[in-house]
Amino acid sequence: MKLLLSWVCEHLEGARAADVIAERLTAAGLNVETREKAGDDELWDVDVTTNRPDAMNHRGLAREAATAGCGTLEALAPVVPEGPAGVAELGKVTVVDSAGCPRYCARVIRGVTIGPSPAWLAERLERCGIRPINNVVDATNYVLLDLGQPLHAFDLDLLAGREIVVRRAAAGERFTTLDGVERVLVAADLVIADRDRAVALAGVMGGANSEISGRTRDVLLESACFEPLSIRRTARRLGLSTEASFRFERGADPAMARTAADVAAALIRQLAGGEIAAGVLDSAPVLAAPRTISLSLARLSAFAGCPIPRERALAILAALELEPRGDGDEIACTVPTFRIDLELAEDVYEEVLRHFGYDNIPSLLPASTAAPGRRLGSWPLTERAREAITAAGLAETCSYAFVAESAEAATAASPLADRGATLRLSNPLSARLAVMRRSVLAGLLEAAAGNLRRGAERVALAEVGRVYFADGAAAREEERLAVALAGRTGAWDDSRETDFLDLKGVVETVLGHLGVAGATWTPGHDAVLEPGFAARVTVAGRVVAVAGRLAGAVADSFEVPAPLWVAEIDLSCAAREVVPSFRPLPRFPAVVADLTVRHKVALPYERLDAAVRGAAPEWLEEVVPVVRYRGEGVGADEVKTTLRLVYRHGERSLTQDEVNAAHFALMDALTRDLGVSFT
Amino acid sequence: MGTAELERVREEFLAALRSAGNDPDGVEAVRVRFAGRRSGLLRDLEERLKVLPKEEKPAFGKALNELKRFVGERLDAAQSAAAEAARVAEAFDVTLPGRRPETGSLHPVTLVRREVEEIFLRMGYSVADGPEVEDDWHNFEALNIPPDHPARDTQDTFYLEGGLLLRTHTSPVQVRSMESTKPPIRLIIPGRVYRRDSDLRHSPMFHQVEGLVVDEGITFANLKATLEAFVHVLFDPALAVRFRPSYFPFTEPSAEVDITCIFCRGKGCQVCSQSGWIEILGAGMVDPRVFRACGIDETRYTGFAFGCGLDRVAMLKYGIPDLRLLFSGDERMLRQFPAGVAR
Repeated sequence: MKLLLSWVCEHLEGARAADVIAERLTAAGLNVETREKAGDDELWDVDVTTNRPDAMNHRGLAREAATAGCGTLEALAPVVPEGPAGVAELGKVTVVDSAGCPRYCARVIRGVTIGPSPAWLAERLERCGIRPINNVVDATNYVLLDLGQPLHAFDLDLLAGREIVVRRAAAGERFTTLDGVERVLVAADLVIADRDRAVALAGVMGGANSEISGRTRDVLLESACFEPLSIRRTARRLGLSTEASFRFERGADPAMARTAADVAAALIRQLAGGEIAAGVLDSAPVLAAPRTISLSLARLSAFAGCPIPRERALAILAALELEPRGDGDEIACTVPTFRIDLELAEDVYEEVLRHFGYDNIPSLLPASTAAPGRRLGSWPLTERAREAITAAGLAETCSYAFVAESAEAATAASPLADRGATLRLSNPLSARLAVMRRSVLAGLLEAAAGNLRRGAERVALAEVGRVYFADGAAAREEERLAVALAGRTGAWDDSRETDFLDLKGVVETVLGHLGVAGATWTPGHDAVLEPGFAARVTVAGRVVAVAGRLAGAVADSFEVPAPLWVAEIDLSCAAREVVPSFRPLPRFPAVVADLTVRHKVALPYERLDAAVRGAAPEWLEEVVPVVRYRGEGVGADEVKTTLRLVYRHGERSLTQDEVNAAHFALMDALTRDLGVSFT
Repeated sequence: MGTAELERVREEFLAALRSAGNDPDGVEAVRVRFAGRRSGLLRDLEERLKVLPKEEKPAFGKALNELKRFVGERLDAAQSAAAEAARVAEAFDVTLPGRRPETGSLHPVTLVRREVEEIFLRMGYSVADGPEVEDDWHNFEALNIPPDHPARDTQDTFYLEGGLLLRTHTSPVQVRSMESTKPPIRLIIPGRVYRRDSDLRHSPMFHQVEGLVVDEGITFANLKATLEAFVHVLFDPALAVRFRPSYFPFTEPSAEVDITCIFCRGKGCQVCSQSGWIEILGAGMVDPRVFRACGIDETRYTGFAFGCGLDRVAMLKYGIPDLRLLFSGDERMLRQFPAGVAR
């Protein structure tokens, strides 16, 4: 809100120095954000919160400054030099919809001479961001900035029947606003009309058909009060926010409607001459009884956390024109019509405390009665997943939860994403951010592609985030972890291309962190992954993860320039976090024996492993692969797998003889059961 | 005089050899000192043998021969070890980069979120969460923001087809907690929030953390002390904290909380628009209308709430100049924050 210092000070007697006013207004919640020199004046940008339309003008700000001890607010008592003719003979006001227009005041000024405004006035308007037009229109804008009351001047001769009718628009009624745009109205729009047609969009903008021009002689000056919601809906629907609608949406002061009409009429006469008709056309001359709020001073102090002196509280309330009364703890206040924001005692506490000064309230920590805090909801789970990210050497990233429809569709072809319909935004910012993701891969792929296109030699990204599904009329959210790997891995002098086993290791690390046991890997056939390089991970028959190489078509659509290994894990598969329990260390030595098995490539390792475990004595402690070899000396459809077997008995030392016997028996069994050889 | 002295020489030799280590010059010096042809200690002992009484000669001679053999062997071994070490050292370049295990990194917003959580966990707050897809009641109406309230302008909302919306703040979780829990309540709620806004300083998705305390006798002074403690731990105990009256529909009174600009220390700079202050939190006493909507007895309980943008804290804390970088997925940025950097 742009305000001129000199203008504010005109409303103050004994105004303090500019620095003091700025500092105290800021401390009272009217943040003076910037101050710039404007000639010998200062232009201030003051952040007036939306609940304070009364302070969005020079006088309102002066009232706050006065309450903050920066002077005394001058009385506002306009003198209107009225002519002999009575206003009722010159015009007529009928308010058909008094709910939409609680008060409509009009004055008539006859015989004006339209011309430019004097320099001082034009300059003030310009500095506050309003373009000067002519003396009559400028006078209305001046009073708007001065007192906060939006006004509108009609050319009385252009009003059919020389009358004003405040009514709802007819659906489909057409009306051209002052900016030259023809608007099609709906029945909810409130219009100012004459006998025949709309002449203004109430509280938003006047009409081209009745505007003040060089030929205007007689002026009908509107100073009204409109219902905020109606104005807001019309302004929003038409995308038309004006100085007037901005204020009416936040609530106007019915008392000010009358005062401002007087001030503006006097100003028009001063600037443009003419004669002010006697009296005011006023649709609601008797105001409703003002609200009263009573508050307890003891409760106020308890609420603040420190004693608030009675005199200080009463002085603040009086300066804010709340007319505090009462001798005891209970203080009754009358809410002035311009303070539409005050309803409850707490609202009034705030008035006292912000002028008492938040700085003058001490800092006292609450008495600690709380039990130790802990992480609730899905936080323990998602934090475990993040530990897995760092343990696996990945960089955590964060992408938008809404993605392009095509990206969503491409990444949804997986059993994890296919758990409900897509949620669509009805007002997306752009087509790129149009639907809620059902797979975290949607955003992650874009990030991975970006890094590769920037020339990254290696990508190792992960994201923990939610996916979203329609669930009838409701929505369901699930937690996921997704991984993207590409490029070279390993040390600088010992690196190689990332492959499936790197990805699988990452997924296994994550599942390990989540306490998931008994995961089964089977070849996958989900369209997001490349056939033949895809896997599904299931636990007890339920798919908990998919992993593999990104399908070519998907890679193309995300413009991924290199092979990308991706996985997505459903975090709900996590086991409850348990305290690890110690297993006794072995007391007897192990006998380690390597075994090189030549077998068909088609034999899955899982089967070989199971066969070894099945045929070995119970004191086979561990079996792990150490070498896989294909090439010279091995058939084209064959592979040599070297296994390391660790034999260890829990209760005694093993003899070489019994290990040998078991080892040879195992080899015989493998040959028999799997048809493998050992040459 | 006797074998005891030989034993002493042997000990001396071993000590000298140990201190020479793999240094070829040091090993050579030990050789000269003990086994040198002209003036080595062993040579001296041979001379000594010649003048010993006859009856002592056999024992001493035997022991001396034994010692000479031992010294010779050890010297040979030390010399070859030193030569090997020198050979290796030639090719040994300690300045080559090591083979580092690949370490992970956490997103800067995760790091500051955890810091914030730690601070409040220590003060007895729990960390809550809730849905991101919300209904109008929890996101707006229960928070004293009825339909067509002007405050909805500043929280421009993404709606989903069907009428649900993406939460514009984490406050709906406050509402849900108050609906389901009896006071005392001490919670913080970090999470993703959404507003229909995108420019240099706004991202359509960002992160907030909010706090809520509800109990008997909670005061504005409690709010001040809590937030001062928070920013002092998060940034710097020397920072000044300023509470400015403000307006939020769900708190009454409301405050915006500024800290001394951490870049210029209050002198005025580009980051703080020359004001010397940086706005860091919004806060206030819970509006009784909100208590009423959530079924909490507003005559018995008072409370305070606050909120803060985590992305902004991350930007301030790590000097990240552009909000959009946080959502770029650029690994060059992400890898600048190894896990645990915030501690």
